[in-house]
Amino acid sequence: MAPPGRRSPGGGGRAVSAAGRRACVVGVGETRYARWGGITDASEYHLAVEAVLAALGDAGLSADDVDGLASFAEDRNDATFMAADLGLPELRYASMSWLPGGGGACAAVANAAMAIETGAADVVVVFRSLCQGQFRRFGRGPGNLPAQEGPPRIPHVRRAHSLLEAHVAFTMPFGMFSPPIAYAMVLQRHMHRFGTTAEHMGHVAVTTRAHAARNPRAVMGGRPMTMDDYFASRMVSEPFRLFDCCLENDGACAVVLTTAERAADLDTPDVEVLAGAQGTLQGFGHGQYSNVSMADDDYTSAGARTVAARLWAAAGLVPGDVDVAEIYDHFSGLVLLSLEDFGFCGRGEGGPFAASGALSWPDGALPTNTHGGSLSEAYIHGLNHVVEGVRQLRGTSTCQVAGAETCLVTSAAGVPTSALVLGRR
Amino acid sequence: MTVRWFPDEMPMPAANAETAGWWEAAAEHRLVVQRCDDCGRTRHPPGPVCPACRSLAAGWAELPGTGSVFTFTVVRQAFLPALAGQLPYVVVAVDLDEAGGARIVSNLVDVDASDVEIAMRVQVVWEDMGPQLAVPRFVPAAP
Repeated sequence: MAPPGRRSPGGGGRAVSAAGRRACVVGVGETRYARWGGITDASEYHLAVEAVLAALGDAGLSADDVDGLASFAEDRNDATFMAADLGLPELRYASMSWLPGGGGACAAVANAAMAIETGAADVVVVFRSLCQGQFRRFGRGPGNLPAQEGPPRIPHVRRAHSLLEAHVAFTMPFGMFSPPIAYAMVLQRHMHRFGTTAEHMGHVAVTTRAHAARNPRAVMGGRPMTMDDYFASRMVSEPFRLFDCCLENDGACAVVLTTAERAADLDTPDVEVLAGAQGTLQGFGHGQYSNVSMADDDYTSAGARTVAARLWAAAGLVPGDVDVAEIYDHFSGLVLLSLEDFGFCGRGEGGPFAASGALSWPDGALPTNTHGGSLSEAYIHGLNHVVEGVRQLRGTSTCQVAGAETCLVTSAAGVPTSALVLGRR
Repeated sequence: MTVRWFPDEMPMPAANAETAGWWEAAAEHRLVVQRCDDCGRTRHPPGPVCPACRSLAAGWAELPGTGSVFTFTVVRQAFLPALAGQLPYVVVAVDLDEAGGARIVSNLVDVDASDVEIAMRVQVVWEDMGPQLAVPRFVPAAP
């Protein structure tokens, strides 16, 4: 199925691996998903371990087989502690993607695939655990909001303890506390340039909520949403309403990758990482939440244009080859921009594309976020989108696309990002 | 008696060696942009090296303080509890005049949220938040 000499998931310039070392996803694991603060009987780290063990069980492997770990969004996820706590016989590979926030889920999988294809490791687990209720909610901002207790402070210029702190000095003091505020500004500009409407964004929210209704894991599975419901939800930061914004919740997931040769011996249907790409545009920085000086065409995009081009080239595919898409959806409006960057429609046409019904399972041309996504299933920083992609290619999704063979998974728009094409072997 | 639009509870800026000069200028009510000494290209936020010519030499260019609204949002949720009483407020990205394409994030004040439009002309005003800290805000300006 894979043409000889196809590029590695790292997007490198030459074929690097024999067919037997092609990276396959052989296991997926998820903990229960709850609204933020909803999981109080297990720590965030405990959930990470649970997810890893569940994924290994799904694969028919054990921790004794694992020699690599990969994750993203460096905060509390730690591979070296996990390797010791899981009793891994030997850790040969550990990577943490630099891509900010939710930009790195697909990169973490691509990094794991590269390790496998080059022979650096044989079995790599990608994991992510988020318990925003136990730490802080991302929606509350990048952590620089001052504590409310204590004596009143005299406002002054503090000393920055990181590059990020020095950068958000140019946004936080102006009330751009949080991603919805920053990305509302992006959609505002997109609406101005291209006539995108709230209803266009509403189509994303309503469509993916309907997909979540069939998904027993979905946090919002029991809450149907009509377009009227969408418009009735409270305005957060114009033009984003509450239902334009992803969940903030507790949960963890993990995926296990190994070689095609090893995968053939395991019971699960083979899902191959056909291609991966990661990176960013020139001058993009951390993305629009910290950089508003970029070119207008970049500002009103997902920032994924070059990642998309390399992804399709590495996979030897075009957007029309995709049967199902799991598009990172921290905000409904950014899904429209991702669809544009990945070439499913022209620049500025994401809104009408969504409104056409294209994203809807089962009849749309591109069923999207068939699990409900970050808007309605859960927000595990996009790794649950990888899990759903694997389910689609195994034929086990609750919104199964008939005969799905090729799945696009994207990571966060609006930050340096990554994407994968998964395929059924 | 200085004019105040936002409460003391707003996050305080943090500066490093590259950005401290911008905040020092702001404390003096000077709106500046970092400019490469070798090729003249501007950059914001400030950084250690020119992305165009990779020179490590830079200085500060004084700006007139006028510009136009590139984009904006009207914030209607109190992410910071201290702002609950003054919602909504307006966050803008301003295309600064004579800044070589640099834009800054700030606020539009003394304006009705419903009157904010992309491309409207604005000019800087300064809010003294503390003894050594002033931040730029913007008000509508004559076209």
